[in-house]
Amino acid sequence: MIKDLLHSAPSLLNFGIFFGLAVLLLFVVLGFVTYGILSERKIMGFMQMRVGPNQIGGKWGLLQTVADVLKLLIKEDTIPKKADKPLYILAPVIAFAPAFMVLATLPFTDAFQFADIGVGLLYYMAISGISTIGIVTAGWASNNKYSLIGGMRAAAQMISYEIPLVMSLVGIVLITGSLNLNDIVAAQEKVWFIFLQPVAFIVFFIASVAELNRVPFDLPEAESELVAGYHVEYSGFRWAFFMLSEYVYMFAMATLTTVLFLGGWNSIPFLDFIPAAIWFGLKFSAVFYILVWIRVTFPRIRADQLMEFGWKVLLPVALANIFLTALIKELLNLF
Amino acid sequence: MSLSGELIAFIGLALVAIVGGVLLITLTKVVHMVIALVFTFLGIAGIYMLLSAEFVAIVQILIYSGAITIVMLFGIMLTKHQENDAPAKGGWGSFSLLAAIAGFAVAVYLGIYNLDIPVQPTALHEENTKQIGIELFSKYVIPFEVMSVLLLVALVGAIVLAKKDDEEGDRS
Repeated sequence: MIKDLLHSAPSLLNFGIFFGLAVLLLFVVLGFVTYGILSERKIMGFMQMRVGPNQIGGKWGLLQTVADVLKLLIKEDTIPKKADKPLYILAPVIAFAPAFMVLATLPFTDAFQFADIGVGLLYYMAISGISTIGIVTAGWASNNKYSLIGGMRAAAQMISYEIPLVMSLVGIVLITGSLNLNDIVAAQEKVWFIFLQPVAFIVFFIASVAELNRVPFDLPEAESELVAGYHVEYSGFRWAFFMLSEYVYMFAMATLTTVLFLGGWNSIPFLDFIPAAIWFGLKFSAVFYILVWIRVTFPRIRADQLMEFGWKVLLPVALANIFLTALIKELLNLF
Repeated sequence: MSLSGELIAFIGLALVAIVGGVLLITLTKVVHMVIALVFTFLGIAGIYMLLSAEFVAIVQILIYSGAITIVMLFGIMLTKHQENDAPAKGGWGSFSLLAAIAGFAVAVYLGIYNLDIPVQPTALHEENTKQIGIELFSKYVIPFEVMSVLLLVALVGAIVLAKKDDEEGDRS
């Protein structure tokens, strides 16, 4: 359906349809974030042998996040007197807008996707880099030493881990011969890339956790050292925007992992009577669960270890993986 | 020229790019300037996208608005120098500058307005990532490789300079 729309003549009606679809996706993502946070807290409670939210909205605390968001909405919006006001206001926008923009190219199923551009994979990497500017800006504009340190750490970390992240994917691009996410999914019809490129998967997964600023790589907002990192001074809805962009990125990254390594909406053999959307949902949920699991399990690593690990371990491993993949592809013609 | 979606998109992106550029010149705080620069880069990337040069557009965002801006912000924030630029002084100099700019604008307008570029149908927009790759590794291998050596030299040079600074800092 979207493909016909993309090829039809531009008109106001078309614009309306796209706008409506985008708003719909925004609400889907907001719904995901609401219940993603709840499930994260529930899983964390389960793993730490506590109960988790269980008061608001029945036994499972189904309305807990809704209540939290409501609280954020009616909170006072404070702007520090010495803050750099225009940047302080602009920063949450710069941080959030790219988070939603990256969703445009992600193919959820063969029918449910928005833009099918040739360089979809690079598009994700490029656009997600803009968020870093928002975070650094927030850290700078707050005029607070903790937030400045947090912003600096975020920039250093996200730039350094973007390189292994992209490099680990070169192997997949070599095998597929395309940067288009649809082609990448189509290439995994028989074997998923997690089996063809296990090293790339490990590097990608570690780097993606670092890109998401989650534990064990949550140095930008390390609460025991920096109070809350780059968003110390933010409150109310502006703060909610940073949290929202973080969770939308989590949604996008889990989707990307599914698409790149777990075969997207492809089914496993003999079970292809189950619809594509359900396959996608199952794989996506598994990735999300592992992300939460990692958060509960690992302690935070030190800043110098973080940099050393990124540059001295992940990057060489990713480069070696590219080299090996190219050799195997050229000499043995395996793929 | 009729009002098509492409034209509207072009006007929007061009406005973003130009406003970013103007703000870059007029703003007084260095950090604000860099943020304005980001908007210019993004606007230009959007225009590349309109010209169906996807790869160039994405690389523009990845390298310029992503990496280079962050490096600039880092540099500015770490080297606590004078935050405000002194505003430019008025006087006869600015009048002659204005005249020069107006003259340049007229010259460019006259030059461009009736420029007729013969359009040939090409297939450059199809799979342009692949085409760039093939061109780069068949026709332009040597410039490409020399370029990488140049960048390596710059990298090593930067490390050498940074190291020197450190030692001096230790001694003092």
